[in-house]
Amino acid sequence: MARRTRVLLAKLGLDAHTIGVNVIAQALRDAGMEVIYSGLKQTPEMVANTAIQEDVDVIGMSSLSAAHMTHFPRVVELLRERGAGDKLVIGGGVIPDEDSAALLEKGIERVFTMGTATTEIIAYIEAWQAGRGAGRDT
Amino acid sequence: MSDAKSIEQGREAWQRDTLEPRLAEAPERKHPFTTQAMGWPVDRLYTPQNLDAIGFDYVRDVGFPGEYPYTRGTDPNGYRSDLWTMMQVSGFGTGEDWAERGRYMLDQGLTGLFLEYDLPTTNGLDSDHPLAVGEVGRAGIAVDSLDDMEALLDLPFDKLQRLTSICNGPQTVNLAMILAALKRRGIDPGSFTLQMPNAILIEYTCVGRYIFPPDHGLRVAIDALEYSIQNHPNWIPISVVSAQLYAAYANPVQELAFSFAIAKEYLDAALARGFDIDTLAPYFSFITGIDMDFFEAVGKLRAYRKVWARIMREEYGAKRPESEQLSLTASPGTMSLTLQQPLNNIARLGIQMLACVIGNGGHAMNTPLHDEAHALPTEDAIAVGAAVQNIVAHETGVADTVDPLAGSYYVETMTRRIEDAVFEELAKIESMGGALAAIKTGYFQKELARQQYERTRAIEDGSRVLVGVNHSVREGEKRNIEIHKHDPDVEHRQIRKLERLRAERDGIATRRALDRLRDAARSGENLVPPCLEAVNAYATHGEMCGALRDVFGEYHPDSLTTGIS
Repeated sequence: MARRTRVLLAKLGLDAHTIGVNVIAQALRDAGMEVIYSGLKQTPEMVANTAIQEDVDVIGMSSLSAAHMTHFPRVVELLRERGAGDKLVIGGGVIPDEDSAALLEKGIERVFTMGTATTEIIAYIEAWQAGRGAGRDT
Repeated sequence: MSDAKSIEQGREAWQRDTLEPRLAEAPERKHPFTTQAMGWPVDRLYTPQNLDAIGFDYVRDVGFPGEYPYTRGTDPNGYRSDLWTMMQVSGFGTGEDWAERGRYMLDQGLTGLFLEYDLPTTNGLDSDHPLAVGEVGRAGIAVDSLDDMEALLDLPFDKLQRLTSICNGPQTVNLAMILAALKRRGIDPGSFTLQMPNAILIEYTCVGRYIFPPDHGLRVAIDALEYSIQNHPNWIPISVVSAQLYAAYANPVQELAFSFAIAKEYLDAALARGFDIDTLAPYFSFITGIDMDFFEAVGKLRAYRKVWARIMREEYGAKRPESEQLSLTASPGTMSLTLQQPLNNIARLGIQMLACVIGNGGHAMNTPLHDEAHALPTEDAIAVGAAVQNIVAHETGVADTVDPLAGSYYVETMTRRIEDAVFEELAKIESMGGALAAIKTGYFQKELARQQYERTRAIEDGSRVLVGVNHSVREGEKRNIEIHKHDPDVEHRQIRKLERLRAERDGIATRRALDRLRDAARSGENLVPPCLEAVNAYATHGEMCGALRDVFGEYHPDSLTTGIS
């Protein structure tokens, strides 16, 4: 039986805007995924550790201040260093177009800016999971 | 004057002879019609029958402006004598960078400024802390030391009526910095109003810029309140920023009920220090946010004043009118602004300002700006925001008569409905043990998280229309405004300044002052005087907050209290 997709939602740095992450958490759960929420004021190390310990498939990071340019790429680096580079890393929030382009180059697979429908994010994760072999067997 | 019976007969006849033929040819475009935030049914028509149904009594429910229960406003003459203080929120860069912007804003005709500090500052960290990377001077002003505060207060104080300083976590530290900087600049603290939202319980509920566990956070807030009342009686030492609840999607009933529950925690904590209610209550103020449903907004503002007056008189036994008069700042709501088609936001701001003024929204108002969904506001947006306030003030006539919608069958019905629902929700919170308990158990946070999800779903499924988002969407639309550019050099400049300060100050005096601050934190004495000593000994903002952290610890809510559990 395919296990449910496990998603870690994370807030890095000092940014405390939580509406986006609250909404995404509830939407992903309603779509049948398992959601773990990091809480506020996380460092990239804390997020990478949690992602590995909890064996998540997807890491979604939310930024509505400046954290994305420094912290998002660092999470990708840490995951790769620890052999966990196969996880899907995505970001969202208030992220200017030029920053999004830079993040995509640094291994963030996709950046969803403010106003993206939750259904679009769910469909994206489901498509990625399907492309990966319809979830791993447990 | 028509009596109830003739109105009822008239209504029946109208329905049968006039309305029904119309409905037969043109069915209604929605079913049911509901208010936007509360989802309450909206009737086709409101008549005197609605007022009869709620037992509306003019003197008891509405009365006269400047008199209990203040439904029609706290100023007996509305806006006919004085308009409101026109404010805008701003903050970025170093103290020097921001002072330049502050002077520009005052030149645009604004008379009050809201200071926002950057995230390291509001979280009690210096600019060179590892968690501060990328954030220095970004979402607000970077303040590490007395030098920074002195630089940012390089403003023409003759043009400034009110300065609002938003630093809710370390409020005593921020207050001490301001006091020391005013002294060095030779500015009389009595010449303007300093408003400290000092809104720590709102931070735990939904904003997240807290440092210490809630009980200690509350003590810091009450220390700042107590010191301010005793030393600067013309200042506003506490504001319940219900606008933050609204910005976290609280509906009007939740916004008011949570805010009053929070206000009661502050009141009770201060009363326990020996203040009496009639000394204390006049210092309380509230800052609300206005949403797009015009009548909900007007009803909310009117109910806001009435509920406060009733709580003061009925529950606290206040005797002075000043205790019962709600001091309110209103701002059009940032949550109704859209990223898409940003110029549309100017129309939204105009409509919300109109509701603010018609609902008698307060002594001060600030407009958020049409480009805020993208980034910090540009100078053009600030000018437009100031113009929106002046257009409503001078071109529309809505400020020329007091509470012009009083007596409206719909507005009075709405006002009463909100009032009743707020008292019901307040009773529920009280049965949980009050606001502090509701925060610790996550009740407020969960209620807000639910609202956030429901509102998002309503926008996604189209049941809530947002023009430019799910209505009148233009394909392939490009952003058509200039946005503020963050100066990447700010962090570097700020850190160099901080390093220089640490090298040049008398390190022994600084350490001694920080030890004294720790002792005060342990002993329970008011923290403002030792904070002032530390500021003058050039202890940094982060070091002072660090000293308090050593004693109070840090707050890390578990998943139960984050709203996502």
